Amino acid sequence: MTNPLTEQFSAPLTFNWSLSYRCNFTCSHCYSREEECDELSTPQLKQIVDVLVKHQIPFINFGGGEPLLRPDLYELTTYAREQGLNISMNSNGWLLDAAAAEKISTAGFRSVGISIDSADADLHDDFRIRPGSFDKAVNALDVLADAGVRTTMSSVISRINYRQFHDLLDLARKYRVPQVYLHNFKCSGRGFKNRQELDLNPQEWKEFYVEALKVKEETKDLLISFDDPVIASLPGYADNSLVKGSSCGKLSLNLRPNGDITPCGFIPLVVGNILRDDFEEIWYNSPILNKMRNKEAKGKCQGCGAYEDCLGGCTARAFATTGDLSEPDPHCWK
Amino acid sequence: MKRLQRNPDIVWRVEKRRQQAVLDRLEAGEETEDEGTVILLISGMMHQLNLLGGMIWNLCDGHRTLEHIVTELLQEFDVERDLLQTDIQTFIDDLIERGWLSYDQSTD
Repeated sequence: MTNPLTEQFSAPLTFNWSLSYRCNFTCSHCYSREEECDELSTPQLKQIVDVLVKHQIPFINFGGGEPLLRPDLYELTTYAREQGLNISMNSNGWLLDAAAAEKISTAGFRSVGISIDSADADLHDDFRIRPGSFDKAVNALDVLADAGVRTTMSSVISRINYRQFHDLLDLARKYRVPQVYLHNFKCSGRGFKNRQELDLNPQEWKEFYVEALKVKEETKDLLISFDDPVIASLPGYADNSLVKGSSCGKLSLNLRPNGDITPCGFIPLVVGNILRDDFEEIWYNSPILNKMRNKEAKGKCQGCGAYEDCLGGCTARAFATTGDLSEPDPHCWK
Repeated sequence: MKRLQRNPDIVWRVEKRRQQAVLDRLEAGEETEDEGTVILLISGMMHQLNLLGGMIWNLCDGHRTLEHIVTELLQEFDVERDLLQTDIQTFIDDLIERGWLSYDQSTD
């Protein structure tokens, strides 16, 4: 065993990959619903897998858009698995019946996350603007578990669910889900347009996270995960993340349907194209990625004792609301 | 034949630039024992192996025994076989204890 790795990784560990921005839902908080982008052919998608293998990027997480709308998803996943990549996916569950679960199992998915916004079926359906979507989502969890596929539940925290997150945890237990992601609200796409209605204020975020971290510490039968760097200064936060601050551009990158690379799905700054450009040149020398890796404290972050842990919080939220990657996260309560 | 194999659930990667930097520093006579060159991702946590550990890990591919690994690494390091074998055995015992390596007991 050795000292902590402090230098930059030789490549990201994860690519979050949108094969398509098409979706059968129109959710109020979706970052990508109004995105339009060309899609690649199956051979081009396999070329991308080859690039990821060449650079030893071990994890792919398919998102979108709804990944199951691409009929070549299983072919692509099988191809990636044969080369040793680890594949996961986030889905709304609408198309995920028992037959699809068997295909997912056969294709070798490591896990599948199903998005559920509320344990109240009507509220979930209203938020997703699709009657029956709750029943389809929980059925997806069931058939995946029956097929032996590890499931996760993804819940974006917003005004509709932050006081009832315990109910989401109970729902996960009911449907044999071992891990729940309580995602932070991103101010991108529809999330930006609807943020007045959906986003919490900084004090509410603090209260939510203080309670959720306490519940996480007390919970033994369920893994509760967060992905919000703004919580780094709170009591109960276990610092086991691999990097400080946002992981985007340090541990992960995002792939758009046309092969363009962005630091994350919520920052619409293209740093290159995976099929046209040299990947190492992008990874090591992109001015945008390097700026994100070397943020400078601005505004209220200057002199703040938490900065060395949170590094200004979520870079995507700061950029969405100020146009500056280094400005403080608008969710910060300090 | 007791061949050594990695736990297939462990995701790992050689950090090539860092490995090259460590090799350069080793060549220059500097201490590199605490420098990680291989990362292992286990249950959401990252662990690292130094240059020798990373080389051993890389060779535990289900085809090589301890003796094979010692013989191959003797070509890389200017040390006595017994000393190298002891170091490698200690490292392997630790990783077997952690569940990261195991012996494949099957015969040819």
